[in-house]
Amino acid sequence: MHLLEVENLTKRFGGLTAVNKVSLHIDEGEIVGLIGPNGSGKTTLFNLITGILKPDSGTVKLNGEDVTGLAPHKIVNKGIARTWQLVRPFRHLPAIANVLVSCQAPRGSRKIEWVKTPERKALEMLDEVGLTDMMMEPAGNLSHGNLKRLEIARAIATEPDLLLLDEPFGGINPIETDYLTKSIRRIHLDGRTLFIVEHKLHALMKIVKRVIVLDEGKLIAEGSPKEISKNKRVIEVYMGGAF
Amino acid sequence: MIKMVKIFLRSVYTSFATNILDRPGRLLSLLIFVLLLFFPITRPTQNLLFVMIGGFILAMFAASWDLLVGRCGQISLGHSLYFGLGTYTTALLCHYQGLPIYVTIPIGVLVGTLIAVPVGFPAIRLRGPYLSLTSMALPLIAAAMVIAFRDVTHGEEGIGPNFRFFPNLSWYKQWVGEYYLALMLLFISACIIYKIANSRIGIVFVSILDDELASKACGINVTKYKLLAFAISALFASLAGAYTAHSMITGTRAAIGSLSLTQSFLPVIFTTFGGIGTIYGPIAGALIIALVDGYILGIEVLNIEIAWHPLTYIIPVIILLIVWPRGIARFVTDKLDDLQEERLLEERGKWIWKRKKVK
Repeated sequence: MHLLEVENLTKRFGGLTAVNKVSLHIDEGEIVGLIGPNGSGKTTLFNLITGILKPDSGTVKLNGEDVTGLAPHKIVNKGIARTWQLVRPFRHLPAIANVLVSCQAPRGSRKIEWVKTPERKALEMLDEVGLTDMMMEPAGNLSHGNLKRLEIARAIATEPDLLLLDEPFGGINPIETDYLTKSIRRIHLDGRTLFIVEHKLHALMKIVKRVIVLDEGKLIAEGSPKEISKNKRVIEVYMGGAF
Repeated sequence: MIKMVKIFLRSVYTSFATNILDRPGRLLSLLIFVLLLFFPITRPTQNLLFVMIGGFILAMFAASWDLLVGRCGQISLGHSLYFGLGTYTTALLCHYQGLPIYVTIPIGVLVGTLIAVPVGFPAIRLRGPYLSLTSMALPLIAAAMVIAFRDVTHGEEGIGPNFRFFPNLSWYKQWVGEYYLALMLLFISACIIYKIANSRIGIVFVSILDDELASKACGINVTKYKLLAFAISALFASLAGAYTAHSMITGTRAAIGSLSLTQSFLPVIFTTFGGIGTIYGPIAGALIIALVDGYILGIEVLNIEIAWHPLTYIIPVIILLIVWPRGIARFVTDKLDDLQEERLLEERGKWIWKRKKVK
């Protein structure tokens, strides 16, 4: 049984079909990448899987359980977490309080043996992404790179089985990218399945084992990073027909 | 045995020191509270006590509003609904059933709190101007019902007189007794609301204020927390209202003014003046404005007609907001925090210097 099974998922916005009969599956322990030109429906697909949008047709199944169109917080409590393309921190709260919010949720407050209070767990999550120094800093004062890290800390604090990362390397310098790559690998080894949308293909292809390509809402290719980088259709879609 | 008592006392002192002595804002509030406790020793006039009791009740009302709006971001421009329900429930029960006040007041508070749930539900769905207008309309609807059922509620006259708090004391002593009762109610309510606002639940409230969708994405059932905020806020608002129905500041009457638009806007004014989002801000704002309005400008000094009263405090409030847009209480605590930081840096500097010397 697949961890995530998406079947014929479709979403229309008026005349525009943002996601067109997309079917894919992700098994436990995989790291899968999702790429495609701008406007191909990647974020919409994420929104559909996490319950922020309700699909017009199609199903989303988590471990065989139908979670299509459930309320976002219910889906999080079933085990799917996400980060945001444009970071959405809680600006009035200090960094640790941002993670504490996740630790208040039903799923996030599950006790692990050696973690005794939500504050301790929040501190551990900040440790995972390297933000311990910024613990009491209001999130509104953090730099973009640190905010990206905070997003990830907040997401893993909900103990997800499946973690959706929406452009984790967006707008950060190569050193940060390197650090985040290591963090993501560590998160994966902790036992979480990852589904990553990213435009920085050189960074992405180093992490993922399988890549799914979307264009104009349709799934056009699927395969290993090497196969995809050689796929004619994919190159055409990204670079234009002249190539 | 003595050792254990010493250890306990020491731990009490340490927690007092870290929680209050080291936080200048809290220390200031405690000092003001102690001052207010000893104030009646100066034998104030009944008018002044009247003003102060009114100030305490309005402060409680404003603090409850701030928790909902300033911390959780749920606009309520009709907070007088809970206040009015609190006062009318206890007054009606007292008048028609003759129940004692220690029964009617809890029932009044219960009714006010429970009404927050059906009121909160549509409020969760509505956004922006629709939410504001709906919340504004509800107490006006309740006021209209009070007038419509005037046989029961005595309409604009108000229901009363209701049972007093201290019927066995002399006239002046009753006022002093009510002063202390209102002050204690304010202190306890303020402590509870402040504790909630700065607890883990309070953190979730602020997350809803900042970014509701992101909060949902953390697994928070936002609807549940919003209703909780409504309920807690309504509880203290209706407690304030229930008090006034038995207080001599209204002549132990429940008045229709408790459901008015003006009553709804008072917490907005006090909170904006004091500092929205802090809990002590609205309390400070309410006390200051009540004193200025009631004592200095209204009664003692000038003979200003009642209709002009709001101007006497609105104009200073507007002027002060230009100078301190974040609110007067926030300005004070910001300054105090700066001083505190300087003091701590100095102490740390001395400590480091001491260490170096020892080496």
